[in-house]
Amino acid sequence: MTMLQSLKNFVRSKSIHVAYVDVGSCNGCDIEVLACLAPRYDIEQYGIFVHNNPREADVLLVIGAYTPGWEEKLKGLWEKIPDPKAAIAIGNCPISGCLFARPHTLVDPPVAKHIPIAVQVPGCPPRPTEILSAILSVAPTVFKDYEVRK
Amino acid sequence: MTKRTVDVSIPVGPVHPCWKEPARVKCETRGEFVLSAEVELGYMKKGIERIMRGRPWQEVMFLAERVCGICSVIHNMVFIEALEKISAIPVPERAALLRVIVNELDRMQSHILANFSYCYTIEHETLGMYLLDTRERVMDELERITGARVTCAYIVPGGVRFDLRPEDALHLRAGMDALERDITRYMGMFEHGPLIALRSRGIGILTREAAREACAVGPTARASGIPDIDRRLRHPTYQKLGFAPVSREEGDNFARIMVRFQEVLQSIALIRKCLDTLPEGPIRGGGIPGAGEIAYSGEAPRGELSYFIKTDEAGRVVEISIQTPSIMNIEACCHYMLKGVASLADVPSTFVSSDPCIACTER
Repeated sequence: MTMLQSLKNFVRSKSIHVAYVDVGSCNGCDIEVLACLAPRYDIEQYGIFVHNNPREADVLLVIGAYTPGWEEKLKGLWEKIPDPKAAIAIGNCPISGCLFARPHTLVDPPVAKHIPIAVQVPGCPPRPTEILSAILSVAPTVFKDYEVRK
Repeated sequence: MTKRTVDVSIPVGPVHPCWKEPARVKCETRGEFVLSAEVELGYMKKGIERIMRGRPWQEVMFLAERVCGICSVIHNMVFIEALEKISAIPVPERAALLRVIVNELDRMQSHILANFSYCYTIEHETLGMYLLDTRERVMDELERITGARVTCAYIVPGGVRFDLRPEDALHLRAGMDALERDITRYMGMFEHGPLIALRSRGIGILTREAAREACAVGPTARASGIPDIDRRLRHPTYQKLGFAPVSREEGDNFARIMVRFQEVLQSIALIRKCLDTLPEGPIRGGGIPGAGEIAYSGEAPRGELSYFIKTDEAGRVVEISIQTPSIMNIEACCHYMLKGVASLADVPSTFVSSDPCIACTER
């Protein structure tokens, strides 16, 4: 491994830009992601920066059970994120649809059918600490030696 | 009819740095001046009412809670109280007061979150972070009492799930003292901050007439001088506690945020009163929901929330329709507040100040 690559690995593990998109949840997971910003959890001390701009993001947090309104938009959003990138499914909704995956529903879970999901965080909603550890665990595996593997 | 010159139509959203949820606001502008705005929804429609039909109340109860994750307790409370009204199930005095405590804790965290969003949108991040830290303390109290942070499922027909332990009551009292101190301080910061006033005072004005015309509800209406809109005035437990709503006259962004701050302080006073008058006794009276139909409403953090429910003998929900408060406020926001906003930078902050909850609007 070259020195440049090891430098890149180190920097990438310390600066993770996060965007989140709600594709039809109850809002519970949204506010748990927001709660990660609170000084108690302090997401920025780990080098994670939430700014919700897909064009600058490394990690996309997907929340919700995939409603029909996102059919064309979610893929477009995913393509806007520059490589290397990873998507994390937050909560039960993007994994299984949770309570909404019943007869007569409009949602179409799981989200993994539509974009590749790297990590799943189950829970209804998961605690902010679980979301934090999921984001931190994805960085070394997905972003390490990206140029070498490419 | 005069001819209108529109420079450009600017869409804001659906994925926007300031918004928690997807919604699109299309603004017709001339320069920076917003001539008119239009909201486009439809990114969150899950069809909850369709799923609810034909299911037993035990399942619908959890679905009702997941209509909105921020104000989940009030959805739970209104649905269960509607069932109790249908079947004349009595609620013990202690359980009724515990419901008020949990509901007010939920209202506090929702209002503090709304004010955090506003402070974040006008880029006063320091105050926003203070508020978010304070909110965590409210969530702690909620978790101590109900066992969960967001979806608590605390209220069941005929009572509540868990009793308030004496040590929790002590913790709650101490927590309320600390919260009152902090919120009073942040309220002073918000009220007297010169830069906050520049971004908030006189922006996004909703007059009393416009609020009546747009059927605005909740803090948005109370900030425009309509105090009697509060449904808590008709709730028997709140009547016993001597509840009186707060209101302000200005009707701008500043007033809407201040009304929420005042309501947090009011909730603290209500919780203290509940703890003082909490009688000993059972927390569950029992009772089985039966057949009937009812339209019942309660006051969510964002305004009036109504449920129309029709059940059969086995307690299955045959017909249900939910009316959530945010849709009124979003309409009021787009058609009255955003019209005439002087700068495009004030569009997100004005939209956020009406505290829109897209998840419960579309269900």
